[in-house]
Amino acid sequence: MPDPPAGSRVSRLVWNFRHHPKRELWFAWWVMVIFYNLYGVLFFFVTHVQPPPSPAWDTPTVVRWFDDNGHGILVGFSVVFLVAGMCAPMNALLAYSMRRMSVSRVFAYSYLIIYSLAAVPGMLVMAIAMTVAALRPDRDPQLIHWLYDFAFLSFSGTMGVFMIGSLVWLVAVLLDKNRVFPKWFGYLSLCNALTEVVVAPAWIFQRGAFAWNGAIAWWINMVVFVLYTCVFIVLLRKMIEREDFGTGPLPDLLGKRAAVQSDSVEAVR
Amino acid sequence: MTNLADSRPQVKEKPAKFVPGQPDMWMFVLFESLLFTGYFSVYLVSRTQNEQLYLQSQADLDLRIGIFNTIALLLSSLTIARCVKASRAGNYRSALTNAFLTIFFGVVFLVSKILEWVKEIRLGNTFTSNEFFQHYFFLTSIHCIHVLIGFVVLGVVVYQLKSPARRSQQLVETGATYWHTVDFLWVLIFALLYVVR
Repeated sequence: MPDPPAGSRVSRLVWNFRHHPKRELWFAWWVMVIFYNLYGVLFFFVTHVQPPPSPAWDTPTVVRWFDDNGHGILVGFSVVFLVAGMCAPMNALLAYSMRRMSVSRVFAYSYLIIYSLAAVPGMLVMAIAMTVAALRPDRDPQLIHWLYDFAFLSFSGTMGVFMIGSLVWLVAVLLDKNRVFPKWFGYLSLCNALTEVVVAPAWIFQRGAFAWNGAIAWWINMVVFVLYTCVFIVLLRKMIEREDFGTGPLPDLLGKRAAVQSDSVEAVR
Repeated sequence: MTNLADSRPQVKEKPAKFVPGQPDMWMFVLFESLLFTGYFSVYLVSRTQNEQLYLQSQADLDLRIGIFNTIALLLSSLTIARCVKASRAGNYRSALTNAFLTIFFGVVFLVSKILEWVKEIRLGNTFTSNEFFQHYFFLTSIHCIHVLIGFVVLGVVVYQLKSPARRSQQLVETGATYWHTVDFLWVLIFALLYVVR
């Protein structure tokens, strides 16, 4: 891999931008980091839709919640609509990881399609329903309440799509011989997939551990999801660092460092 | 490049095995244990808030079925352990027989669990009846999903044992570790749902 020329930080940045062989991969990876950070801030602190409010609220409480959060919802979801397209390079990077494995292309294509569709119920439907309710405060309160249920149930109740995605990734990681990801990540994907099943009772219950804001259906799942996301972001970074654009096993990072060290020793000699 | 060539065998020379099977599967055991600790904690906290309801509902469960389930799974753990032992000794015929016995005991567990669910539903105890039965149906179902995945894992073990061209001892032991986890989780679920009063 060619090295950037010695010079100022700016000139190296320009060189990397124009010539770095992994520039698309790093771009997609940074998009992923920025997207998940934005997602966290927008959903938790701006729109206040996470942690989710109670599904057991009566209609006046729901209407009051929209009145109190109206500005946050509008600002937050406007940004969500703007950045929703960031899902594309993110999903592309995830699919790329599977294309780099020794497994069939079917895995990458299935994953790409599932996750591209998942953005609709997992994010956009909620954003649309919430924005409609916030922009039409004069409508029948029952309709506002209906939009509230619709938004949270589409967000929480459609995790089956993500479960299948996790399972596709799990099987790909376990079958892969190119050591793109460690096998334990495959098993962590299984844990994540199993927690996605657990949200299904949110359709039925309005109170307790299995409601959409419950200890099992939301809190435990969120901990697993955050852990899983952090792990795959770090592993994707390692994958990009190890990428040699070949078709065989990915080289170890340790070996690479040793190679760099040995090259520098040779250079000094 | 010499350094690179030298460094690799050194990495391989590290003690190769700390645990049976893939060390990665033990990470899964850790993840699952933590996850189920979360589920059990929620159950126990809910229980302290409405102990009377939990005691009354528990009375509807038949302890004998729970014990039967536990014995079936403990026997399956015994047979998978015998399978690993036989496979280590190169006695693949016996290993296969034990793997099939494990599947048999797994099926016995699953069928008895389904019969118990039918019995409880006939008694009027469904997923939506009360908080105890929410936890009962949730914990037993999520465990049964683990059993179903276990059948896939045992399928891999059988596939490995069948042909002399494969027979990866590591995969056999990895599968056995998964199956023991399924058993271990059941023993905890059994204790919490049926025994703890």
